[in-house]
Amino acid sequence: MAVAWIGNRETLVERAAAHAAALLGSSRCPVFSLDTDIHGTRAAIALAERVGAAYDHADGAVVAREAALFTDKGAMTVAPGETRRRADVVVIVGELPKIHHQFVGELAETVPDLSPPLSGRNRREIFVVGSNETTAPPLSNGRTATLLFCGEASLGATLAALRAQWRGRQTSQPVSNFDDFAKALEAAHFPVFLFSGGATEGLALEMLHGLITDLNRKSRASGLHLPASEDGWGSALASTWMTGFPLRTGFARGLPEFDPWRYDVARMIAAGEADLHLRISSSIVQPQKKRNRMALIALAKTQQPVAGAAVTIAIGEAGVDHQAVVYSSRTGSLRSVDARAASELPSAATVIRLVASHVSAEAALPC
Amino acid sequence: MLTKIAGGDIIDPVNGRLGKGDLWIRDDKIVAAPAGGSADRTIDAAGCIIMAGAIDIHSHIGGGNVNTARLLLPEQHAAHQARPATTPLSNAGWSTFQTGCLYAKMGFTTVVEPAMSPGAALHTHLELADIPIIDKATLAILGNDDFLLSMIRDDASSHMIEDYVAWTVASTRALGVKVINAGAAAAFKENVRTFSLDDVVPSYGVSSRKIVKTLQAAVDSLGVPHPLHVHCNNLGSPGSADTAAATIAAAEGLPLHLAHLQFYGYGMEGKRRFSSAAARLAELVNATPEVTIDIGQVMFGQTVTVSSDVMRQFSARGSAQPKKSVIHDGDGNGGGIVPYRYSKDFYGTMQWAIGLELFLLIDDPWRVFFTTDHPNGAPFTAYPALFELLMSREARTEMIAGLSPSAMALSTLSAIDREYTFEEIAIMTRAAPARLLGLTDRGHLGAGAIADIAVYRRDQNIAKMLGQAAYVFKDGDLVVQDGEITHYRWGKALRLNPSPDKAMLRRLEDYHQQRYGLSLDWFDFPDSAVAREQHFGEVACRT
Repeated sequence: MAVAWIGNRETLVERAAAHAAALLGSSRCPVFSLDTDIHGTRAAIALAERVGAAYDHADGAVVAREAALFTDKGAMTVAPGETRRRADVVVIVGELPKIHHQFVGELAETVPDLSPPLSGRNRREIFVVGSNETTAPPLSNGRTATLLFCGEASLGATLAALRAQWRGRQTSQPVSNFDDFAKALEAAHFPVFLFSGGATEGLALEMLHGLITDLNRKSRASGLHLPASEDGWGSALASTWMTGFPLRTGFARGLPEFDPWRYDVARMIAAGEADLHLRISSSIVQPQKKRNRMALIALAKTQQPVAGAAVTIAIGEAGVDHQAVVYSSRTGSLRSVDARAASELPSAATVIRLVASHVSAEAALPC
Repeated sequence: MLTKIAGGDIIDPVNGRLGKGDLWIRDDKIVAAPAGGSADRTIDAAGCIIMAGAIDIHSHIGGGNVNTARLLLPEQHAAHQARPATTPLSNAGWSTFQTGCLYAKMGFTTVVEPAMSPGAALHTHLELADIPIIDKATLAILGNDDFLLSMIRDDASSHMIEDYVAWTVASTRALGVKVINAGAAAAFKENVRTFSLDDVVPSYGVSSRKIVKTLQAAVDSLGVPHPLHVHCNNLGSPGSADTAAATIAAAEGLPLHLAHLQFYGYGMEGKRRFSSAAARLAELVNATPEVTIDIGQVMFGQTVTVSSDVMRQFSARGSAQPKKSVIHDGDGNGGGIVPYRYSKDFYGTMQWAIGLELFLLIDDPWRVFFTTDHPNGAPFTAYPALFELLMSREARTEMIAGLSPSAMALSTLSAIDREYTFEEIAIMTRAAPARLLGLTDRGHLGAGAIADIAVYRRDQNIAKMLGQAAYVFKDGDLVVQDGEITHYRWGKALRLNPSPDKAMLRRLEDYHQQRYGLSLDWFDFPDSAVAREQHFGEVACRT
């Protein structure tokens, strides 16, 4: 089975890695898109430093939005385990990515066992904040979440109205089912708001945390961060410990510089700033429209060369083809996962280190 | 390879070696002077002081809360950025890579991260694995976790509790156990906002004192070398000296270590009802030989407070500078990250003075440990300046001149003449931490010790001298020369490996399945997950 190509021509992995390194070495403005596990991220950032690249997640906008909540404002958050054991009111903020629907179902099917008794109720109260078109993840036993919306208002505006009404202030338009919500909060011991950066823009996230802060003046409440991309959030964490900064960091001047606009890799590619794109993903890389003379190096789980790529090297999928460390939104931390269907496909980290070994440098790689 | 460090002033209190002499290294170990041996390499240490590599027992250098602090404050990292160097990622501000380099430059070769959440053990170890040069170790946090609180409530046997503690230490690859504001994080989840030593956790009916005593006994019975590491209740509150005094009294003959005592040295005298109780606490420590402490010295400037004392950090949000914070209710403790700037006003001056009073009024350097509770009191990069303050009364006097007179009037610091000697510094930062942690292979320069060695060129400027070592050897490898890193190497993570009873494993599996809907596997990891060869180094329990 072929695993490496230069253009459309099969070659040895070693040779493809050397060619990729040569391209990186001659690049003026290389950019990396990551969609990989912690070890793949660590190796990629070490390579980025060596070649002066900028790096971002493959779906950088949502990860950047989630990171911005922390870099700009801060938050009150709770662990998933504590949510399952304490949350007597669950509020889903906007649409949650499908990867989290199972956990929401779990919350609907279980009751808190650490909060004080539920005043005769034998289930959690579940609300969803959004527009009148927002759908909550499916709940068991035909249950439905109570929808909180505010006419045609955006999610952020609805959260603002919700916050204002909770503080007893006038709003131009009331939030639907507010009385039910207020009643539930009054009785709640530990309401938890589930949020993700997928469908919730930055100001809405800030407004949500303002509401949570308000609730904590007299009682307890918190927010459960369910990242839109688990690999994306894992990469953000690894980047933060390695460089001091989350994703959308670049080494153009040798130092790590964090700039969510400047190092937005999708923007850099669209603007023609980048001349080389290293795309790391275990899923198949979609052929992309060739822009300017930008070269593509694709590390992907593929059996054929990626269309338009100068170099393609096949990698395995983290946790499927090889052991991996990934962010788990189910535990809210990093987790080691065994290979579900071990194969000989190399990990992203292995291939990136091989590429890096062909890039000349004064010092050894740290990862 | 045989290396001779020639003609330096050797300061090795453990082996009673004080004075000019040679030190020999064969490969990674210190050896006796070989008869007629000729060195492959000779380091001229004339005019230098030679000590064992320093050990920091309490510095928050890795793990979820530390990383969240980095995430919260990207603007602070920019201020730390240095010019490009030749070591990978060594120029990254406040990163894991810079942490190892900066510690090594000061002659530190082992650092303990004292607050590892068991649920985030893999994350913590991955961060530590990216800290170059130095050895690391962790203390696992217990005392707010439902499993332990339930066992105490239900009068579980001491053996069951020891099994749980052993499992936690073993599975998290920790070197000891820490308890943080025992019971308060659990109480906070039930909307309790203040919590003292004899307060009771709702739903469990267990007092904070009971939790501390239970863990202290378990740690002692298991033979964990490091005593239970206690972050007391009421951190930072005026009058918290009473809490610290009560906790010291609660040691009751068994070893107990109190962390960052400075933050509990607060009396309630004066018009602001905030004064120094350092003299009182120092007297108590002096009279209680089973108690050891570290200071958590405050130094002026911007920092960020990082603590798993979530209740305390929640109440501190109003003083955040800049005005943002993260408060996290975790499984067990969680944590809070609140940036803070220590200014030279009354309160900042008082905190600064209290720490130094404790350093200087506690007689025995074997029982007082050198920390700023990085980054809580100050970044660890403030250590050289702090050494100068301890070793020079003149330096303290100069500093006091620019501080709040009304604060100094409520402190005994101005009247204290003591100046630490190099021998006392070597005890406090090398010999004593090694003994406290059960690390017999370091903290001294005797034959058989690992060759962790710091060589400092004598200078009138103590901060300069101790801030930039002339030479640092890690495991016999010369990693710092003239204050600069020569190359990377990877240290170990030191851990205990007690064997918990298999019945406890089954109990925990059932517990995690029932309560979290997850297998215990979700919370454990193989050594290979850290992806560094021979990453863990095992330390023996007391027998």
